[in-house]
Formats: sequence, C-alpha cells, structure tokens
Amino acid sequence: MAYEAVTPVTGRSAENRYTTRKMAALPLAASAGEALVLGLTTGPVCLASCGPVVLPWMLVQPKGIGPHSRQLLLFLAARLAGYMVFAAAAWLVGAAIPRAWSGRSWAYGGIELLLAIALLVYAAGWPRPRRALSEPSPRLVRIGEAPRPRPSGAVALGFLTGINLCPPFLVAGVRAAQLAHLSGALFFFLCFFAGTAIWFLPFLSLGFLQRTPAVVTVARMVAVLLACWYGFSGASLLIERIING
Amino acid sequence: MRRRILSILAYTGAALMLVVAASVPFVLMGVFSKAVADAGLHIDAAYSGGTVARIIDRGGYKIVVYQPVEPRLLERIEPFVQVVFEPVDALPARVSEEIDLDGDGQPDVRVSFSLPADPNAPLRGDVTALNGKYISLTNVTGESFSRMVVRAGKQIVVRVPLNRGSVNR
Amino acid sequence: MASPSSAPARPPAFRSIGRSILLTLPIALWSLLMFTPSFRSGGRALSIGAVLVIVFMTSLFFLMMRTGETYRWRRIFFVALGFLFPVGFIASLIAERGTMSIPISRMVSGDTPFCFMVTPALILPAAFARTIVFPGSILPTASNPHSIAVMIGLWFAFTLVLGKAWCSYACFFGGMDEGFAAFGKRRRLHRFVTKYGSILRLIPWAILLCVVLLSAALFEPFYCMWLCPFKTVTEFPAVRDLETALQFGVFVTLFVGLVVVLPYLTKKRTQCGFFCPFGAFQSLFNKINLFDIRFDREKCFDCGLCQTSCPTVALSKESVREGKTLLNCMKCGACVDACKKDAAVWHLKGTPVAVKPERARLLFLYGAWALATMFGGSILANSIATMVHWLPLK
Repeated sequence: MAYEAVTPVTGRSAENRYTTRKMAALPLAASAGEALVLGLTTGPVCLASCGPVVLPWMLVQPKGIGPHSRQLLLFLAARLAGYMVFAAAAWLVGAAIPRAWSGRSWAYGGIELLLAIALLVYAAGWPRPRRALSEPSPRLVRIGEAPRPRPSGAVALGFLTGINLCPPFLVAGVRAAQLAHLSGALFFFLCFFAGTAIWFLPFLSLGFLQRTPAVVTVARMVAVLLACWYGFSGASLLIERIING
Repeated sequence: MRRRILSILAYTGAALMLVVAASVPFVLMGVFSKAVADAGLHIDAAYSGGTVARIIDRGGYKIVVYQPVEPRLLERIEPFVQVVFEPVDALPARVSEEIDLDGDGQPDVRVSFSLPADPNAPLRGDVTALNGKYISLTNVTGESFSRMVVRAGKQIVVRVPLNRGSVNR
Repeated sequence: MASPSSAPARPPAFRSIGRSILLTLPIALWSLLMFTPSFRSGGRALSIGAVLVIVFMTSLFFLMMRTGETYRWRRIFFVALGFLFPVGFIASLIAERGTMSIPISRMVSGDTPFCFMVTPALILPAAFARTIVFPGSILPTASNPHSIAVMIGLWFAFTLVLGKAWCSYACFFGGMDEGFAAFGKRRRLHRFVTKYGSILRLIPWAILLCVVLLSAALFEPFYCMWLCPFKTVTEFPAVRDLETALQFGVFVTLFVGLVVVLPYLTKKRTQCGFFCPFGAFQSLFNKINLFDIRFDREKCFDCGLCQTSCPTVALSKESVREGKTLLNCMKCGACVDACKKDAAVWHLKGTPVAVKPERARLLFLYGAWALATMFGGSILANSIATMVHWLPLK
C-alpha cells in the first residue's frame, strides 16, 4: 500500500499522522472500508462535538419517534451536505487546508459564531410564524411553548456542525485531499459520514421522553447557554487570531 | 389493610434509614469510598501526566519518562510528554540533561533548570528540542498543562509539547 | 408576611423542657461520639472548637424539639457553616501555600481538594472512558486528604439518607446565600420572583445539562473552570493568562450577584435555587428519599404563605393544590413553619398525609441532624480552631 495505515485517532492535531502525498489509485472498497472504520472509531468525538447541539434541538421537538426521526434525518442530511462541501474543498485545494492553512482559526471561530447565532435563533423560536397585522405581538419566548418543528433549524444546525472542523473531520479531510479523483473524495466522506451517523441513532430515544413545558423550556435554555459557549469560544479564537496576526 | 402494610413498610424504611445514617462515619462512608477507589478509574492524563514509559536511573536521582499524552475528544490541550525528576533533594543545584523521550536510543530534548535554594521560590527552566518532534520552551514555569517546568512536592515536573505541525485551538 | 426570618406565623407548640431534653439526648450523645477523637488528638484549639460545636448543635436541636420549629434553628447552623467554612479553608490554604490560588504544579501533583459540586460533571467521562476529569487524587494522600474516593463516598452515603436535603443540612456553600437572604426585611424583587419563579427554578437543570455535556466533550470540569461562584471564597486556578483572568472575573461576578446581592434583594437562596447545577442533580434523589413535605388540602386555604416563604421557589400554586412540593424541595422546613393552619406537614412516604406529622419530622431530623453534626459540625470545629489559633489565647 502506498499510504500509511489508518489508526484510530482522537487528537485534534492527529491528521499529520498521514502522509500528504496524493494517492494514485486507491481501490474503492479499501477507501470505503477505511472511511467507514474512521467514522466508526472517531464517532464519539463527533458525538461530543455535535451532541450538545443535537440534544437541546431534539428536546424541543414534539414527543414521538416520528418527529424525532424526521428532525434527525434532516439534521444528518444537512450534515452530509456540509461534509460534501468540505470534501470537495479539501480535494480541490489539497492537503494544505488542514495542515498549514493560516485561515483555519478564522474558519473555526467563524463557524462557532454562526453556530451560536443559529442556536440562539432557534432557541428563541425564530422565525416566528407570520401574523396578521392586527394580532398583538407575542412575547419573544413563551416559556414552555414548544416551537413548531422547523426544518430550517435542523438544516442550519446540521450544516454548521457538518462543516465544523472537529478532529476526525480534519483527518478525513486530509485523506480525501490525497485521493486522485473528486468523486473518490466525495465517496470517502460519504462512507466516513455513514460511520459517524450511527452514533447519532441513540438520540431517537429522546422521542420517548415526556414533553412537559418544563422539559421544553430547559432545552431552550440549554440551547441559549451553549450558544453563549460557542459564541465565547468562537470570539476568543478570532480575537486571539487578530492579536497574534 | 394495604394502607397499614404501607405504613409498616414506611416506618421500617425510616428506621433503617436511621441505622444507615448512624453507620455513615463508621462503615458506609468507607464502603462507598472503597467502591469508588476500586472502580478502576484514573485521573485524566492532562492532570496526572499519563502512564510511565520508563525510568532512567542517574545514581542519586531518577528521571521518569511518561508516555505521550494526546488530547481526548475536544480536550483543549496540546499533546505533550511528561518527564519527572525525583527526588528533588538528590538533584544537583543545576540540572542539564539530554533525555531520550521516545526510547529510540537518541536524545530528543535537553532539559535545563537551576534549583532555587528556597523551595517555595518559583522554578523556571528551558527545554531545547533536539529534533522536530518536540517544541522548545524558554524560561518556562507553569504556563499550561502542556508546557511546564515546575516543582510539585518532591518532584520536578517537566512537560514538553509535541510538535504536530498544526495550529491547536 | 411569611418571611422565615420574621417571627413564627403561628404560636409554636412548645414541648415541655423535660421531654425536649429527652428527645435531644440521642443527638447530644452522637455529638460527643463524633468529637471524641478531637479531644484525644486534636490539641487545645480543636478541643475548644469541638466543645463549642457540641453545645451549638445540641442546643439547636433542643430548640427544634422545644419550639416545634425547624427552619429558624436549622438556618442558624447552616449560615454559621456557610460563613465559617471559608474561614477555615482559606486559612489552611494560606498556611500551606501562602495564597488562595491553586498553581498548576499542585494540580499536576493531584493536590486539589475534591469538591462534591463537580460530581455530575464526572459521570460521563467516568462511565465511558473510566477517567476522572478533575486534578485531584483518587485515594487520600498526606497532602490531599480530601480525595475523590473519600468525598464521593461521603456524598453518596449522605444522599441515601438526605436526598435533596443535602442542600439544607450538609452543603457548606448554601449557608452563604441563605445568610445574605436573612439580612433586612424588605423584599425588593418580590414581584419579579413571583412572576418568573417558574422559569428561574428551571435554570439549574439547564446549567446541569450544559455542564454534563460540555465536561464530557471538553474533558474538563466545566463548572469548576467557568461557573462556580464559590471559587471566590475558596480556591481558584492561579491567574496566568487572559483565560484564567476571565474565569476569575466570572467567579467573582457570579458570587457577588448570586450569593450576595440577589439573595439580599429577593430574600431567596438565589444561587441554590436559580443556578446551582449540583442542586438540580441532587433533586433527582428526592425521588428515592423516604421523606417529603405535603399539604393537607382540608386545612389549606391557598393563602400562599408557604410559597412566599420557600427560599428556593420549590412550591407553585399547582403543586400546593396537588398537596405536594416540587422536585427541588430541600426540606428546610420554612413552609411548614410559616403555615398558619398547619396544613404544610412533614411526611413519611407510604403513610397517610397529616397523620402523625411530628413523628415523620422527628425521624427525618434525627438522621439529618446526625449527619449535619458529623460533617458540618467537624467543619465548624476546624474553623473555630483556626480562629482560636489566630486569637492570642495560646
């Protein structure tokens, strides 16, 4: 084999375990197997990275497996779209993206800020349904009121977590960049996605949890608090980047 | 009848609870503490330094080299290797050692520090990387969990960051 | 008004002195048993502390028995614990390392005393990675007797007996905001608390969920690193860069806001009731605890005094109408003492409501006070011993 063996890695900076050489022709099955194993083994990191976003979002959905399955599917589909965008970009620009790209901190910070905004927006129940002009303005957040399931929320959060540069994602990005064809890179990320997506299935069990106004309110509060954390984390990365040049 | 049985059970439970309360300082606390201690848990390597790789004997003192520590999940630390010099009392006033961290027989870093006479005085030291796998540190003390030369009780703890060639968050 | 700080709303049912002494006797003997080692090996200062604590705890229990009131006397102990704990703790830090800040060298040598507040944050990393994300030591050492195993063992044993009542009888932090809530009479933010109480009491659950998720993701004790108000009066990571400076700023702001200013303005335990994630976690154990507070609907006339008096907003109109408290009730006894109609009663689960409530109260108080004496009492004794060292009594 012309490339280094794949080892399960969990470190944020572990992508340099891989060579940056362009691979000539990687057999499709081997590529799929490698990506799937990488996805499965690094799934807990994906779960740790995306779980804080998925959990409150799922908790504000109405009770039942049906609504939860729909929201999770939307979330994962949008996440896959994010993966594909990244895979294409990684392949086009080459292995330089994750290793030496000076704008990585900007990307980290920017994505986290966007994620914070998305969490805030959907925790607050925006966008509100259109009302007649004569209707009195409702309060911004009616405590305990579950927001109507909005596909846009799952899509936005899924896409943003999809392009969030978590460690296994960067490892997969390096591998995708090494592949000879764009289709190979996309296929690699598709299999990687399949490996990680399995780890998200337990979130469906939240559908069985009783939905009371208290549960919904707590979930929305969690979303706001996490938005604060992502906002802080993103802003501090950007500020650090600005100071350090 | 059911109510009576429930009441009897409740009062029995309450009496048992008093027995439990009375046994806390003598038995129960120890039992639970032992259960926690025997649960096979360990302190996160970011704090403990991880597992020992090998010990280099220097006559009066020894140098303990640990396995490299990688961040777990989204842990916000740089990967590092811990090296411990112990006991402090046996160390010379000025230490400058070349140490093989990865066990390949070649020195990887040079660690230098001077021990202040006052044990409470802050310790500072230098780490010079002898190859590209490690990052040099100059005049460092307890900067972060991955970069330090500090006195911790009867040990000098040195943490050398690994060079992963990437921007850590 | 039904402020717990004011005079009791109803004439207390006084017991005779003889009967009260008899009921206090087990606690007096227990106190002696607990502090005997202090006399044997603790030196003069600790002996003085032990004597004072024995007298203090026994007297308070006697007054509980004599007056039939719980909250007022418990609060005296609890506030003393809250205010004296930092005295002893800070003094020991200063004596040992000359500063309240904990340097990184002590963290890597496992010398950070374990605090029970971090317990919920440890669960996921311990369960899935067998890793404890706290810079302490699992077993006690000479330099760190407050090891993780000892403190978790202690907490779990207490929780079996007390449930959420930990927050009223054992927590060495809660007395601080309870103390500041006791200053003055006027409730400046009463309407705010009444209006938004139903939301405010959910915040600890949200913080708990956040802390658990972020601690598991970041592999660090997130609450200790970013949110604990009591770091201000115990120990905090040494400020070495912008991040640690920011953390310190957050600790101080939360302490001033939640432990000093808001309790004073609202007369509520705002940190405990509206912020503390450990309190929310502890509420779960109310489900398995044998004791609770119930409302006799035949006597209750929905005056709302119990809700006003509750220091953590653990009662709502709906819950009182159902004859129950909410899950976050910490069994401090404020509502029972405030109720003019004796509708709020101590209750042993499985027995009929309002039948022999005093028996339920006694059974609960014996367990709770015994553990309070053992744990809080020893903290008080140590703190008093520290002050004796400071005073020119030697």
